[in-house]
Amino acid sequence: MGTLAQQLINGISLGSVYALIAVGYSLVYSILLFSNFAHGGFLVIGGYICYYTLTALGNNIWVAGGLSLLGAGIAAVLTERIAYKPIRERTNITLYLLIASLGMSIVIENIFVIVAGGRFRALPPVIPTNPVHLFGLTTTSAFDLLSLVVAFVFLTGLQLFIVKSKWGLAIRAAAFDLKTAGLMGINVNLLISIVFFVAGVLAAVGGIFLSVRYTLYPQLGGITIKAFVAAVVGGLGSLPGAVVGSLILGLAEMLTAGFISSQLRDLVVFSLLVITLLVKPTGLFGKKPTEKV
Amino acid sequence: MGYIGGIIILLCINSIAVMGVSLLTGFTGIFSLGHAAYMALGAYTAGILTVEHGVHWFLAILAGGLLAMVVAYLIGIPTLKLMGDYYAIASIGLVESIRLILENWQSVTRGARGYPGIEGFTTLPVAVAFFLVMAIVMVHLINSRYGRAFKACRDDYLAASLLGYNTARYRVLSLAVSGFYCGVAGALLAGFMSFIQPVMFDMMKSTELTSMVVFGGLGSLSGTLLASVIITLVTELFRPISQYRMLIYGGVLVAIMVLRPEGIMGSKELWNLRRKR
Repeated sequence: MGTLAQQLINGISLGSVYALIAVGYSLVYSILLFSNFAHGGFLVIGGYICYYTLTALGNNIWVAGGLSLLGAGIAAVLTERIAYKPIRERTNITLYLLIASLGMSIVIENIFVIVAGGRFRALPPVIPTNPVHLFGLTTTSAFDLLSLVVAFVFLTGLQLFIVKSKWGLAIRAAAFDLKTAGLMGINVNLLISIVFFVAGVLAAVGGIFLSVRYTLYPQLGGITIKAFVAAVVGGLGSLPGAVVGSLILGLAEMLTAGFISSQLRDLVVFSLLVITLLVKPTGLFGKKPTEKV
Repeated sequence: MGYIGGIIILLCINSIAVMGVSLLTGFTGIFSLGHAAYMALGAYTAGILTVEHGVHWFLAILAGGLLAMVVAYLIGIPTLKLMGDYYAIASIGLVESIRLILENWQSVTRGARGYPGIEGFTTLPVAVAFFLVMAIVMVHLINSRYGRAFKACRDDYLAASLLGYNTARYRVLSLAVSGFYCGVAGALLAGFMSFIQPVMFDMMKSTELTSMVVFGGLGSLSGTLLASVIITLVTELFRPISQYRMLIYGGVLVAIMVLRPEGIMGSKELWNLRRKR
């Protein structure tokens, strides 16, 4: 019983970190209709900025975290401006964007391989990881609770931004139809930059928590595959779907690790993907893509 | 045989795999990040069949190709019915799952340490013969009714389906053929190296295949072959600065997409460069 409760909390906590990544990826997908494979790069950029600020400026997580979110957001906007904008202005073939995003992900990963080296780095101990007893029922780590709370705060913030703000309305309009949104007087380039900035910021939050959980290394961005899978399970392009999919994935992973075998946890993730594609390919909340002639 | 012979064999193997990816990405417009998985299937099938069951290598190569083809078909049915990036994400899942299975199914694949002692059946004549036969088949396929249907799915799937083409079927067919090519390439690689390891078929290898196709030209078979020759040779030349290799790869991919998305050859073929289209 204790183990089950513990694995449930771990699973939801891991799932909430996936959700931060999956939501950003889904947001970009909903506007530009392509899988941004460079999304994992934003997470790595966030992690490394946090690591270097912590080691250079002393252990102040607020400064390091803030800089890291800002840096990853700017990097995401720059990536869009350099690699995607020229392509999307010329053609609407998403295959080209997909290939360019693959290229950017390789570039970002290898910049860190060359500059920072391929070593595994542990973040200085600024985020508490000591055990916490919950109502005498179960023991979990403070880190798991903290990542759950932070993810919740950021996801709620995003939800408020999308629902309440003027730019949120513009994003929802653009997700419905980017071209028409542009014709209605929305500054499409600025809108896309904002979307990438938000996606980068959320990825950086996820990146910091993942680098505490798994240590930091240039290939850490590869973990976004799981966020992609979560987004597909929940429905590509749907934000609530991305969150629900991430929680399902986190729980499935942690329960497998806890009760079957930790080697099989990744296989379970991909089986979940295959099952989703076989049973309900549009995901839990996805709408069926219909094409008007 | 020596060093030069080895490079020619490797070139033939790479070219076969790249032709497969070219059919899928270049001619049918479907993006894949996991074609190394099909190579892994081919390689392990051929290796296990020849070493443990004493099957003749030629049949083992075909079996490797066929298994890859069947797996590709099964993955393709649910993912390719939908437009969007479903196959691209599923392909990452596939390549990772295959690697995990190969690493953990110790009793059959001998795990992450690799599978040694495969007979060196891929000699220079074998590799060249396989390459020539498969290239001729591919050229005919692309110029056939099927090839035109693939291109129609790529250029405008809506118009293609209005003309009565079952686009989903053609997309799955293209994936299955491309899986067969990669499976055969993997089997030949097993016979060339005599030793295979799960890490040989990771996402990096898949990326390499895709970038060769993009570099050569989406929709040009001779362009992609040219690119695979250039990239294989340049990789050999740049061994000393191999740490920058992937960085250059990535940069070149972005630059091509931004500056000349059609690649070096566009959709033209070497043999009809002169002819006006």
